[in-house]
Amino acid sequence: MRSITAVFLVLTILVVIPTVQYAFAAGDEPGEYLDRRVEIWNLFFRMMTVAFTIGAIVSGTIVWLCWRFRESHPKASPTEYEAKGEW
Amino acid sequence: MGHHSNWPEWIYIGVVIALLCWVGAEAWNVERLIEHVPEDAKIIKVTGQQWFWTFEHEDGTKEIGELHVEKGKAYKFEITSKDVNHSFNIHDYVVLMDAVPGRVNTVWFAPMEAGEHDIQCKEFCGLIHYNMRGKLIVEEPSS
Repeated sequence: MRSITAVFLVLTILVVIPTVQYAFAAGDEPGEYLDRRVEIWNLFFRMMTVAFTIGAIVSGTIVWLCWRFRESHPKASPTEYEAKGEW
Repeated sequence: MGHHSNWPEWIYIGVVIALLCWVGAEAWNVERLIEHVPEDAKIIKVTGQQWFWTFEHEDGTKEIGELHVEKGKAYKFEITSKDVNHSFNIHDYVVLMDAVPGRVNTVWFAPMEAGEHDIQCKEFCGLIHYNMRGKLIVEEPSS
């Protein structure tokens, strides 16, 4: 069941992305005057902000995981397999 | 297996997909904005060849190595090449488009202040590629 859901999820993304691209694609209607430097660099800085924020969250989470679940942590407890001596 | 909850993984997947959608939508939106040419944009035919740029205005005026435009007006470049691949680049205005033989690529811009800017080839096109440069001169509007 899960794998079917995953397959549908992937298919949905494969359909949705081209549809959104088509909807946003440049058509024949005339555009407005704009400063492409501003638009392009703004996009770049927005993306960099997101990238660094996500990077900080992900690396912070990994650092915390390594710190919290080290063997020498005061609250460390054996896994259920280790407790049973199966590991 | 199967005794623990895996909702954090699903939240993680959801957040990643939402972010990818947002990144895609933002990029597409900017692409849409900068690809729509204003109705009154003047067409300039740009031809690249080893190793200089030629420009032809709507009124038939031709320029070599220098391009004169007016501040506050929109220009649509129709870019092609006579020999090998080049790439038309006005770095200061983030204009960059390949010049390919047998194909016309377009890009538009609207300079908002008077001044001089470098034009260069951004695709290695042979021995003197490094010196395939030009000058964009943005002038005050004549009328």
